[in-house]
Amino acid sequence: MLRAAFALILAGMFQAHTSVPPDVGIDLNGNRVRQLSGPGIHVVALIFAATDCPISNRYVPEIERLNREFTKQGVRIWWVFPNPEDTATTVARHNQDFAITENTVLDTRQHLVQLAHVTTTPEAAVFKSDANGLREVYRGRIDDRYLSIGQERPQPQHHDLDAAISAILADKPVPQSGGPPIGCSIVPLQK
Amino acid sequence: MKRIRSISAVATLAASIAFFSYWRESTVYGANPAPPQEPAAASQSERKTTTVESSPTWSRDVASVLYKNCATCHHPGGAGPFSLLTYADARRWGPQLMTVTQSRFMPPWLPEPGYGDFADVRRLSDHERDLIKQWVDAKMPQGDLAIAPAPPHYDANWLMGKPDLILKVARPFTLPGGGTDVFRNFILPYPLKETHYIRAMEIRPGTPQIVHHANITIDRTGALRRQFPNDWQNGMAGMELMVDAGNRFDPDSHFLFWKPDTPALVEPPGMPWRLDPGNDLILNMHLKPSGKPETLDAEVGLYFTPDAPAKQPMLIDLERDDALDIPAGDASFVVEDSFTLPVDLEVMGVYPHAHYLGRDMQGWAILPNGEKKWLVWIRNWDIDRQAVYRYKEPLLLPKGTVLHMRYTYDNSSTNIHNPHAPPVRVRAGNRSEDEMAHLWFQVLPVNVPAGAPDPRLLLEETWMRARLSKTPGDQVSLYNFAAALAGEGKFTEAVSAFEKELSQSPHDVRTLTALGVALEGAGEWQQAQQRFRSAIEAAGTDDSSACDPRFDLASSEFRHGQPEAAAEFRTEVASCPEDAEALTGLAQIEIEANQSTQAVQHLTEAIRVDPSLANAHEQLARAHAQSGDLQGALAELEKAVQLKPDDATIHSGLSQVLAATGSLQQAIDEQRAALKLLDDDADGWNNLGVLEARTGHVPAARDAFEHALRLDPGHAQAKSNLARLQSQD
Repeated sequence: MLRAAFALILAGMFQAHTSVPPDVGIDLNGNRVRQLSGPGIHVVALIFAATDCPISNRYVPEIERLNREFTKQGVRIWWVFPNPEDTATTVARHNQDFAITENTVLDTRQHLVQLAHVTTTPEAAVFKSDANGLREVYRGRIDDRYLSIGQERPQPQHHDLDAAISAILADKPVPQSGGPPIGCSIVPLQK
Repeated sequence: MKRIRSISAVATLAASIAFFSYWRESTVYGANPAPPQEPAAASQSERKTTTVESSPTWSRDVASVLYKNCATCHHPGGAGPFSLLTYADARRWGPQLMTVTQSRFMPPWLPEPGYGDFADVRRLSDHERDLIKQWVDAKMPQGDLAIAPAPPHYDANWLMGKPDLILKVARPFTLPGGGTDVFRNFILPYPLKETHYIRAMEIRPGTPQIVHHANITIDRTGALRRQFPNDWQNGMAGMELMVDAGNRFDPDSHFLFWKPDTPALVEPPGMPWRLDPGNDLILNMHLKPSGKPETLDAEVGLYFTPDAPAKQPMLIDLERDDALDIPAGDASFVVEDSFTLPVDLEVMGVYPHAHYLGRDMQGWAILPNGEKKWLVWIRNWDIDRQAVYRYKEPLLLPKGTVLHMRYTYDNSSTNIHNPHAPPVRVRAGNRSEDEMAHLWFQVLPVNVPAGAPDPRLLLEETWMRARLSKTPGDQVSLYNFAAALAGEGKFTEAVSAFEKELSQSPHDVRTLTALGVALEGAGEWQQAQQRFRSAIEAAGTDDSSACDPRFDLASSEFRHGQPEAAAEFRTEVASCPEDAEALTGLAQIEIEANQSTQAVQHLTEAIRVDPSLANAHEQLARAHAQSGDLQGALAELEKAVQLKPDDATIHSGLSQVLAATGSLQQAIDEQRAALKLLDDDADGWNNLGVLEARTGHVPAARDAFEHALRLDPGHAQAKSNLARLQSQD
């Protein structure tokens, strides 16, 4: 009983549905992105990234793996580039270099940063998608490979993001991040 | 003598890839603010007053710290993942700069201050750390750009200019974008047909951002390339290597260690290292995936010097691999080793090495007077940031000093670097998930009496004896121990040690050959020849394996006046045409048979193969002299003297040729040089007396003859010469 209650409380932290702004950014062709979700999508995962952040870049293979694993289960993964210097040209070249195949959005106004309450690249924000819209159910690290700068495991022991997506798809309580995200701070917009 | 040496081409990691983290708790400085603007109306003097009294600025304070300590790697195209050359760069990474400098993750430097006085220390001073922190706390002001130092200049060229020789990997290697770190060995054959001495080396990995470190081992015999005939062009996986060190006492002498912030490795004066025809360089690299496939196309630039080494350093190590059996979960597993120095020596550098479980690594010396000198202490080992540490000044340690190491390993789950989750029992091995316990030193024996045997042999003997005390059956140690004894002339002990090794592998060609050499040295030449024949038989149809025993058999037969020697040398030269010593041996027989034309031909070929073979030059001088070409003889002896300045015979031969060409004073000088090296040579003193007498130096001549007679009262020529001198008085 206690465990169930705890799970309910945790879930309760994220009960409120998020109001996604009509304009969530632009794609690499300069077109406005208006929809993060879509028909048949149950989960939306935003991966906040920066082209010049080495830790962010090192997670590309892991995100590719998750995309391969979950894409047919109604999971849509977005790479989100919020830093002002990550222009469409820069990110397009970066995506080509890293063979990134997932959806990509430039968070030019950092609406998604505010929406997801993230501070770091790489950092994940996962939303449950239903008829009522998006509801954030997980925010934090991708896995526990990095504990801090210079504190890096040979390989991760806990795949936090994988576990969160799996839990949503299984309609189970979503486990929360076991530690802070490690990487590079998101560069704020110049006022 | 052939010898095998166990070498760690040890995988090492220097922290090249500085990943910066951001803690959610650190939001106070994580959100980069807009740079504070200087008050628009402030005058120059007002601005200065403001900045001096307030926080540090990039222009005045921080840029110089970053240029000095970070820019070597953090520049466009450098090994660091981003540049730190401009204010915009520094501001972009400011919060992370503060984090990594406060934690001392950056710049990479593991040794504790005060436990070894090292050169090129990368540790930031407390003042420099404080400056960065204060600057970030103050929202990273730019300050007056006019007073900012000029950024250092980096380009894509070789740092020391165009190398004399550039070696490239046979094929580029593609590192996958993801997964764990990769340890890869690339073989770079030395393509030249003559020996060169290397004064400096630079490695250009091609993609420096993914290379933690690189370590080069010299494979003197190309053994690894033969071991992987089909794969070596692609490189081989692995962290440690064992290579064959070739057929002469030629211990590893230099740390050929590269890390991103020291791309050019310049050796101290008088201490170049050597590459011979047929050698391979093995480039061991520790690679870190970047997130995308990366192509590694490494090249090594070598800078030559014509000068042979004037000083002969040597690498030795303390090690306890045998004791590594670390229980799962043990957070404090300790191994220790010690070694008593048999000679005076200077320690020039130190290289601690363990894998992922190492935590605390201590090295120290207890001097004969009881004084303790710290050599190194690393409290928080990190394989990713390992390095060779060179002392600011060589550290003199007298004979009798005891070197100590004490390593502590953490095989618990709280060790973040532990490759196993949950932890498992770990032993020594060359995979990254195995462990190692080594503390290497580069040492230079000093205070060596003139004419004494190579002190490195005694060091080797003592070192191997210490290894055998830990692992009595270790064949490599046993072989090297026996070979060192033989090198020191302790032939009876060497025979015993080789026989012990042979009992483990009775048909080993190398050991049979080495045992033969030791027996020959012990005066048992008939037995020696039997061993050489056994070795040739054991080699079977493998001509290359039979080269050494056949050469040794031919040499033995030659020494003992056996006529079979000539045929044996001819067989050897036919089957091993690149054997310069065999060519020289055959030529010696030809000289004795007055076949100087053939001798010159064989010796010229020997010198082409190995220009550093002093004996070939000396014999060629004899052949020239035999055919009346004194100038040719002179030239060859001068080369021989350069190659082997401590050889009294060569100086004496040069003296004789100089005398024959009429250069009497130079002849006297050379003879004196010979006697300085070999004082108890009665013939030499007699020859000096003759030269002194011919130049009219009667008292000096008398002294020399008398010296000869003191050494050998029955020396007939000296007696006769002295009598003749006295009759002229």
